[in-house]
Amino acid sequence: MTFRQFAFNNVFRNKRLYAAYFLSSLFTVMVFFTFAIFAFHPSFQNSDMNKNVMFGLTVAGGIIYVFSFFFVLYSMSAFLQSRKKEFGLLMIQGMSTQQIRLMVFMENMVIGLFATISGILLGLVFAKLILLLAENVLIFEESLHFYWPLSAVLITFVSFILLFLFISLFVSFILRTRKLVDLIKGDKKPKDEPKASMLLSILAVLLLLGGYGTALYVKGMSVIVAMVPVIVVVIIGTYLLFSQLNVFIIRRLKRNESLFWRNTNMILFSDLAFRMKDNARSFFMVAIISTVAFSAIGALYGTHSYLTKAIVQANPFTYSYHPYDQTENIQKNVQYAKNTIAQNGIDAKQLDMTEMYLPFADKPDGILVLNAKDYNKAAKLLGKKQLDLQAGEAVIAKQSIANLNQNDHADKWMQQSITLTDGKTVKPSRQVEADAYPNVDSYMIVAEETYKKLPKPLKVKHHFVWIASEKNKPEQLRKAGELLQEHYEPGAFFSTDFVLYEIEKGYGPILFIGLFIGIVFFVSAGSFLYFRLFTDLAEDKTKFQAIAKMGLTVPEMKKIVNRQTALLFFAPMAVALIHGAIALTSLSRMFSYNLVRESAMVLTSFLVIQIIYYLIVRFFYVKQIKEVIE
Amino acid sequence: MLEVKRVGKVYEGKVAYRALTDIDLSIEDGEFVAIMGPSGSGKTTLLNMVATIDEPTTGEITIGGQNPHRLKKNELAKFRRRELGFVFQDFNLLHTLTVEENIVLPLTLDGKNVKEMKEKARTVAEKLGIAGIMGKRTFEISGGQAQRAAVARAIIHHPKLLLADEPTGNLDSKSSKDVMELLAALNKNDKMTTLLVTHEAQAASYADRVVFIRDGKLYSEIYRGDSQKGFFQQIIDTLSLLGGNDHDFSSVRL
Ligand SMILES: Nc1ncnc2c1ncn2[C@@H]1O[C@H](COP(=O)(O)OP(=O)(O)OP(=O)(O)O)[C@@H](O)[C@H]1O
Ligand SMILES: [Mg+2]
Repeated sequence: MTFRQFAFNNVFRNKRLYAAYFLSSLFTVMVFFTFAIFAFHPSFQNSDMNKNVMFGLTVAGGIIYVFSFFFVLYSMSAFLQSRKKEFGLLMIQGMSTQQIRLMVFMENMVIGLFATISGILLGLVFAKLILLLAENVLIFEESLHFYWPLSAVLITFVSFILLFLFISLFVSFILRTRKLVDLIKGDKKPKDEPKASMLLSILAVLLLLGGYGTALYVKGMSVIVAMVPVIVVVIIGTYLLFSQLNVFIIRRLKRNESLFWRNTNMILFSDLAFRMKDNARSFFMVAIISTVAFSAIGALYGTHSYLTKAIVQANPFTYSYHPYDQTENIQKNVQYAKNTIAQNGIDAKQLDMTEMYLPFADKPDGILVLNAKDYNKAAKLLGKKQLDLQAGEAVIAKQSIANLNQNDHADKWMQQSITLTDGKTVKPSRQVEADAYPNVDSYMIVAEETYKKLPKPLKVKHHFVWIASEKNKPEQLRKAGELLQEHYEPGAFFSTDFVLYEIEKGYGPILFIGLFIGIVFFVSAGSFLYFRLFTDLAEDKTKFQAIAKMGLTVPEMKKIVNRQTALLFFAPMAVALIHGAIALTSLSRMFSYNLVRESAMVLTSFLVIQIIYYLIVRFFYVKQIKEVIE
Repeated sequence: MLEVKRVGKVYEGKVAYRALTDIDLSIEDGEFVAIMGPSGSGKTTLLNMVATIDEPTTGEITIGGQNPHRLKKNELAKFRRRELGFVFQDFNLLHTLTVEENIVLPLTLDGKNVKEMKEKARTVAEKLGIAGIMGKRTFEISGGQAQRAAVARAIIHHPKLLLADEPTGNLDSKSSKDVMELLAALNKNDKMTTLLVTHEAQAASYADRVVFIRDGKLYSEIYRGDSQKGFFQQIIDTLSLLGGNDHDFSSVRL
């Protein structure tokens, strides 16, 4: 057996131990590669895709790469930690530090090479799936066909070989050998408990409350200003929370002997105490990474629905035409739209919403006054609530969009009155919600007879709207919309379907990138937990084997493992969910737009995935331990 | 060969524990010394420090005139692989390797020729009666076999100094005798200086000298005369004296 053979045997006879490390490396490569396939897709590269999107793709790739680096580094150092004793034994047999380094280096390069190659191969399989998914979920101009991703393969291969080379070099340096006793007794020695102090515990609570409070308090654009300090404070708070709370709770439990010494509790808690430091660290990491995932996905999804919903809210009509030229040409111009709509086989009702602007108080361009009859026609076609005005009544149509701009004049206008041509005055009687005809500011709706007696307006504008029936196909609506929007002066014609489509198209890749990164982070958090759990597997096996000899039953073992795993999976998850919920609430306050539905959806889906993940991991863990005690 | 000068060891921890106090011990080239004492008296601690596994808190240890604790890392590694052989109380075989691979490990580290290694491994294995299990993995062999494999690993490279912690603890009297005779022969023929920790008077009686420690201090030492039998009796007597006013004595297996 030469030295090389020895190193080789060491790996191949210890597959399980290496498998976890190998798999997480493979996973990282696969993620990066899949992303690269997408980023280098010909229909992205060749199309005149937005420069920003290309830039976004590059940045996202960079983030994934940096993240991969730390992830592999972490996996590797966890892996090396679990092999301390082996290194100690080798050193007492006279292995020099250089030889150990060389061995670790060679192992890593071999693992790295295989992980890179298999990651790319697996990635190819997944790419088909991801491209299919991307094509169906998101709107792209061209279809995302499968292609032979040569540049993605090259980039991935080179990047990861470099990454593994660098990490191998790096790690063989951090593998500074401490005292041999520490190595040989390495896995038997409990790691030091993090210090638990009253002061730090209080600080943790204060930091979290302060961070949450600020996040929930600020509004509008100040959210952006407060973001960085809040994030920093919450991160520190989270770390303290886990390192302090862990210690605190476990100390408390251990002190309570009637609880601690009851059936399987002793095994569970002593284990938790033994791994306290590691657990605190992984809880923290997982909580933060998951929070990033939730917030990223939640924010993108929220922004998306904010954009689309806001547009639909502001433009409930299929088409809307605001001619700039309000002269006699108007009929000719409208006729063109009418014809185009008809030629495209669209069944739509046309309305002429006559906007009258009356001089009103201190507003130079006057207040918009609408005929209640016109409003009700629109409301009826849109399926919205019609207004029921008494004869001679005027109401103020409150605008929720105006609320956003914070220049809502509704209250002020309630005080004003208009003198009609018959000498009588009319004063708004109440405020109504009027979403069938949105406007940037609140406006007035008056009953038909009163409308006819209004004084001479500052100006009158005809606003033509079309409301298409349900049976029209969206593509038709879009096509006609595009034609018309291009025909008229910019801004005069608005096709809701076409604009939404354009937004989806521009937003698609961004959403995809965001989702991708979010999922990468989330899945890594999962692998983190998996890794954390499986580093202790060997130890747990011996432990349960020993206890089983004293009469621990399989159900009892399962109970212990279940709880241990549940804690590992759900303690950081719970914190991440709270963090995520706060972050998304803060986002919705920035937009002044309610994101509860979106946030709940994102967070619940993550929770469901995590539960599934937990069940799978637990199944395999229990299975492996069962093997040795039966 | 080995000089232990006023060595003390304190284990730091929640409560610092003084495991050894002012140990002085000098071992000649080619000498065979056994250390005896009640459980917990500090035997393993002393051996670990000589083996460079742990560092003394006070005092100095020199092996062949060199203080191994002062050597540079690489020199220390070479020193360990060429001059030292070590048998652990709990064997510490690498479970990823077969018995044979475990035995030749110190040689492979030194980049020896494979044929030569195989040859050497066969010779020691035959002497120790484990030639039949060379291909097995460590979890497929018995405690006694593992112990003999550990002994084989410690002596395969003919170290100048062999440090053995309970090398016969798991063996029946026949195997125990084989191992001790092998060690005695290596000591005599190859001038392998040997320092052995044992609970068994029988094993200790192969030594030239037995050093007794109690509560981390040297208690006494006795030299072997002409007869091994007489020496054995002397050891038994000292042990009963040692344990006479020590309740730990009950744990000393005879
Ligand atoms: N790492 C350690 N930390 C603290 N105390 C220790 C440590 N290792 C050993 N001790 C203590 O030092 C004393 C000597 O231990 P040592 O292992 O040297 O005993 P020993 O003589 O080899 O016993 P045995 O015959 O049972 O193997 C014991 O009381 C033990 O409790
Ligand atoms: Mg001992």
